[in-house]
Amino acid sequence: MSKLRDQTSISVRSNPSLRFGLSLLVSLVIFSILAWLFLEDPNRQNLENAYAPPGSLPHLFGTDALGRDVLAWSAAGIRSALTVSVSVAILSALIGLLVGLVAGYFGGTTDAVLMRLVDLELAIPPLLLFIAASVAFGGGMINLILLLSVVSWVTYARVVRTRILVERERSYVAAARLAGARIPHLLFVQLLPSAATLVFVLISLQAGLVLLWESGLSFLGLGLQPPTISLGFIVAAGRSDLVEAWWIVTFPGLVIVALVLAFNLIGDGLRDAFNLDVTLLDR
Amino acid sequence: MTKSDIDRTVAPKRAGPGMRVLKAITAPSARYLGVRLLQGLAVLFGAVVISFLLIHITGNPAEVLVGGRFTGEQVQQLNERLGYNRPLLTQFLDYMGGVLQGDFGDSFRFQEPAIRSVLRALPDTLILVAGAIGLASVITLPLAIISVLKRETFIDRLLRRGMIIGQGIPEFWLGLLLVLFFAVQLGVLPSIGNSGFNSAILPVVTLAVPLVSILGRLLRADLLDIMTSDFVTALRAKGLTEFEILTRHGIRNAFGPFITFLALQLGWLVGGTIVVEAVFVWPGIGTLALGAVETRDLPVLQSIVVVVAFGYVALNLAVDLIMLGIDPRIRLGRTK
Repeated sequence: MSKLRDQTSISVRSNPSLRFGLSLLVSLVIFSILAWLFLEDPNRQNLENAYAPPGSLPHLFGTDALGRDVLAWSAAGIRSALTVSVSVAILSALIGLLVGLVAGYFGGTTDAVLMRLVDLELAIPPLLLFIAASVAFGGGMINLILLLSVVSWVTYARVVRTRILVERERSYVAAARLAGARIPHLLFVQLLPSAATLVFVLISLQAGLVLLWESGLSFLGLGLQPPTISLGFIVAAGRSDLVEAWWIVTFPGLVIVALVLAFNLIGDGLRDAFNLDVTLLDR
Repeated sequence: MTKSDIDRTVAPKRAGPGMRVLKAITAPSARYLGVRLLQGLAVLFGAVVISFLLIHITGNPAEVLVGGRFTGEQVQQLNERLGYNRPLLTQFLDYMGGVLQGDFGDSFRFQEPAIRSVLRALPDTLILVAGAIGLASVITLPLAIISVLKRETFIDRLLRRGMIIGQGIPEFWLGLLLVLFFAVQLGVLPSIGNSGFNSAILPVVTLAVPLVSILGRLLRADLLDIMTSDFVTALRAKGLTEFEILTRHGIRNAFGPFITFLALQLGWLVGGTIVVEAVFVWPGIGTLALGAVETRDLPVLQSIVVVVAFGYVALNLAVDLIMLGIDPRIRLGRTK
């Protein structure tokens, strides 16, 4: 049954979560590209136009104390948020897939170490780890991507491992082994496809989580550093103007909610489309 | 007389919860507990290693400490004074020995044992965490029951959509919006600090919102699972209404997975607390950690990491014990 469902093509039209999530993500990306092309430089100050309330065109989201356009800021924030979350998702998916395949197929020490790392990841809150690690590592995008990936790959490895544990007992794997297949062939040609759908769903769900980590760290001043614009940083900057200009905090935050929602909906939609076990992927 | 009848006559009529846990220590469950204990110790050891590596991974802890403000010679002197020029293994064993006695070295900032600073800040954080867990459970339970009772209706879909959105709300943003509304606009609640019950309301609500979303999705899925199981079909045949089945049998069966999951979320919750403390200038370990990053107070950072991991391991072991007491399947070694 599930084998049959696995092979049906994904229908975006009959899957509201997937449809809505994809449209939301695509609109946000188009919005950020258009803003990049047509809006003024987000760092351009215009003191005559300070604290313009939202809706005063062309400043749809209003301006801050220095007259900078919150809309242009948010658009730039989307670009860096997506850069970080997609890079981390792909990097950690690759590492996690590799470790999960090896741990699931061979078991033994790799597996034992992996499972303790899974425990450890739950025991030490990622955010606390990032904060503590920021003492040793400077900010900046590359460092942040590496740091987030160090934590994020464990989830992929855990999920892939669980799947491979079941999959390695199937007869097609035994058949391939009998036919003289070498280990790399078994892992990457025979077993990898069975984990591929899971990894796609996870990439989407993890991207949302990573985005929340990044914005949280940037809010605390420990993530992306200026001149890179991040949504969390804008919210932190708008905090001192909360009373005079509520829009500086509100709109970038709404953008974060929309981005994470898009990733979660896509993940949920793909999960339904692939007919995957719900509990396997939950944190 | 069938076997179950014999069991019923032999079993004592009523045993207190403490008695039940004691009785639960049978051979399979002792083995299970032993394994869990070893796993917990492994996690703690991992946390100690990570907290050690935090300052040694760049190769030069003294450099981390001074942040490039001093000359090479001064860094060298500092290395010698703090013993950072000894072999790494010696340093680790030294560190490990200290940790076992609760000694992480003195806080640079407060000039007192680092662990003391952490333990002083801990109660404030625990108030937020416990408050959020309590509030989230109280909200989640009725929502999940309504969602399952009215499954695949408008209300169910609305609740599920709300929960997906709730999962993506960053705590720092929600906290600021709550401050804007309740502290600035209405002026009914304090916005920063900890000056009693009222000041805990906003931070606790901020933490509880994402938690409700996560717990709600889990509880709904669990309850739905239960509602399609065989014993529920039997209960339906007996004439119980859906509501009665859910409240009398569904919740009881979902309780175990629920608290197990909740205990697993403790680490994640502490992570959220750090951000919330920063928003509300709440004097807990999050604020302490951020201050320690600013002042490069390494012993305090290290002890926070280990203390949080310890709390997580202890709580999960406690939940294991409770589950052993209330779930005969684990007691008899028939777990998944």
